Amino acid sequence: MNEKETILIIDDELPIRRLLEITLSASGYKVIHSPTGREGLIDAATHHPSLIILDLGLPDADGKDVLKKLREWFFKPVIILSVRDSEDEIIAALDNGANDYLTKPFRSGELLARIRATIRSSEKKKDEPVLEFGTLSIDMLNHIVKKKDETLKLTSTEFSLLNLLAKNQGRVLTHQYILKEVWGYGYIEQTQYLRVFVAQLRKKIEDNPSKPKLLITESGIGYRFGE
Amino acid sequence: MSEVPKIKQISFLTFISKVNHYILSIIVIGLTVLFCLPLSGSQGYHLVSFILLFVVSVLATFMGIGPILLASALSSLVWNFFFIPPHYTFHIESTEDILMFGMFFTIALVNGVLTTRVRKQERLARSREERTNALFQLTKELSKASGTGEILHVATREIKKHFAVDPSFILQDGNKNLSSFDHVQKAGQLLSQSDFLMAKWVFEYSQKAGKFTNTLSANEHTCYPLKGSRLNPGILITEHTRPLSGDKNIFWDTFLTQISSSLEREFLEELAKKARFLDESDRLYKTLFNSISHELRIPVSTILGASDTLLNGDHSENTRSALYNEILTASVRLNRLIGNLLNMSRLESGQLSVRLDWYDINDLVNKVTEDLKDELKPFTLVVAVPEDMPLVWIDFGLMEQVLYNLLYNACQHAPATSNIRLNICHKNKELMIEILDRGPGFSEEALKNVFKKFFRVEISKSGGLGLGLSIVKGFIEAHKGSVSVENRKDRGARFMIRIPSELMNEKIVT
Repeated sequence: MNEKETILIIDDELPIRRLLEITLSASGYKVIHSPTGREGLIDAATHHPSLIILDLGLPDADGKDVLKKLREWFFKPVIILSVRDSEDEIIAALDNGANDYLTKPFRSGELLARIRATIRSSEKKKDEPVLEFGTLSIDMLNHIVKKKDETLKLTSTEFSLLNLLAKNQGRVLTHQYILKEVWGYGYIEQTQYLRVFVAQLRKKIEDNPSKPKLLITESGIGYRFGE
Repeated sequence: MSEVPKIKQISFLTFISKVNHYILSIIVIGLTVLFCLPLSGSQGYHLVSFILLFVVSVLATFMGIGPILLASALSSLVWNFFFIPPHYTFHIESTEDILMFGMFFTIALVNGVLTTRVRKQERLARSREERTNALFQLTKELSKASGTGEILHVATREIKKHFAVDPSFILQDGNKNLSSFDHVQKAGQLLSQSDFLMAKWVFEYSQKAGKFTNTLSANEHTCYPLKGSRLNPGILITEHTRPLSGDKNIFWDTFLTQISSSLEREFLEELAKKARFLDESDRLYKTLFNSISHELRIPVSTILGASDTLLNGDHSENTRSALYNEILTASVRLNRLIGNLLNMSRLESGQLSVRLDWYDINDLVNKVTEDLKDELKPFTLVVAVPEDMPLVWIDFGLMEQVLYNLLYNACQHAPATSNIRLNICHKNKELMIEILDRGPGFSEEALKNVFKKFFRVEISKSGGLGLGLSIVKGFIEAHKGSVSVENRKDRGARFMIRIPSELMNEKIVT
């Protein structure tokens, strides 16, 4: 890494902050950390980090509110840290503009992988007409999807779904968000549509549909487009 | 107030009917004499005597002793007056006739009295039988009744039926205190404060009191203690319109004894249940603390020891990486332990919310096999899901835990390189998941207990709290499904999960 990327950690637990600082510094990132939401917002404004790791359980403010305030002007990736079994919180945070989430306890290898993927995909130019993922290429302009140079036959809904996920590669999209974007507001509760179409799409684009690498399920939350 | 004239009316009616019997006997004897008068000349007076004796016997079948005495005396007199020569006098000429007259009177009398006595005996026997039946009925109903509420209901109904009084019961609360006064008012019975004080006295001294008794007889109600052999369940309070006579009193006491012993049985059962429950929860607490502290200490000591070694002293690359690995394994184990404890407490608190939605079962399998990647490495996992497997209506998070625990268990017990099978299908509106391994299976004893909290098989090398399978059971039951286990014919265990899951109503066209 030529230029050190700055990562801001907003978490009230000192051991976690310390561990993250050691791990991230060792991987070549510059680390700043703040124990409260208020200080976090100030640090974000003064240091312009490339990525923020935000704990949802902060002492002075609800993590979701901090995220909302951040998202008024901060457009770089935010990764949510949360305790297990708070799916509602995670979904709300993702819908409020978080890019990804991790539940505590997590493995630092996993965290580093997520950070790298998130930063990379946020830097990727999204206005290119053709997106390429390994052997898969998606031509947004002409609605042509090719796998190993073979054109795939996709229905228009399948294409919209693939398009939406691919454009947001690396980012976790919630069920509700995908349903709203692809099918419309009236379908926001109809998860079964999503399941059927995802299964269908996997059969067409994945090398091994039972071990998907592109359309990744985030259990109970949504889907993410891998690589 | 309305009861008093009613009683008078009743006795007046009996009086009338008694007088009627006297008059009736006179009329019947008179009519018989009239009927027999023409016979006196031709057939002789002996036949008449037989007819009169017959009539007196018939009268005896339904009349009391008084009218029968009257009928016997009257018939002998009229026989003498109208039929024994010389006619129309009470004078008897022949010695034979005097003897006949005497015998006639005696036979009429004995006949009448005996018949009456037989009738009385029969009436007594019948009422005794009725009481025996009533008692039998009561015993039967009481033994069928479960719970104090039902016993009181049966007791009240039977007492009403056989004694025509409306009783109310005040029971003790288990600590030898009568339940509160308000409680009785709620039952629709308006008892005065003095009634309640009397009830307390009766309960304390186990003696009846109130109206028609020797104690507190000015009270409107009568109060009886319900006495058991080991504890006294409470008291009965009621309002008698007249005192209970001799055998009716015995009948009443027998009734109360039956009710008391049923109530006592119920009380004792309740006490035993409480004791059992306390014992059980005490045992659970002990097991929980013992096994938690034991299970927590193992990974914590590993982490402590390994990190200490790493910090103090120079070690080769190999040693260091081995120590790091130990720390990682211990942390994962600790994390799984905490996860299971959290899940158990979610189940125990009854706060488990099931968030059902349509899911692709393949996603579930992928997620779990990915999480158990390392554990599954020594085995061949064979997953069978039909090509046309429909979406299923489940809680993903809970089912993830279920499948995780079952597969994890299989990994712990199966010999390396053996097959672990996971068969999934949808049949008869049910999602069926089958997990088969080639481990040692379970003993008879273990088969019965594997789903119980803190149960662990003896040879368990994995340690653990013995919570995994009870969490599986709890989560499956939260889906209104069932889980069972059996040994496979050749070797290994087979877990079978069934969860009701309807098919989607609509067909989604892709």
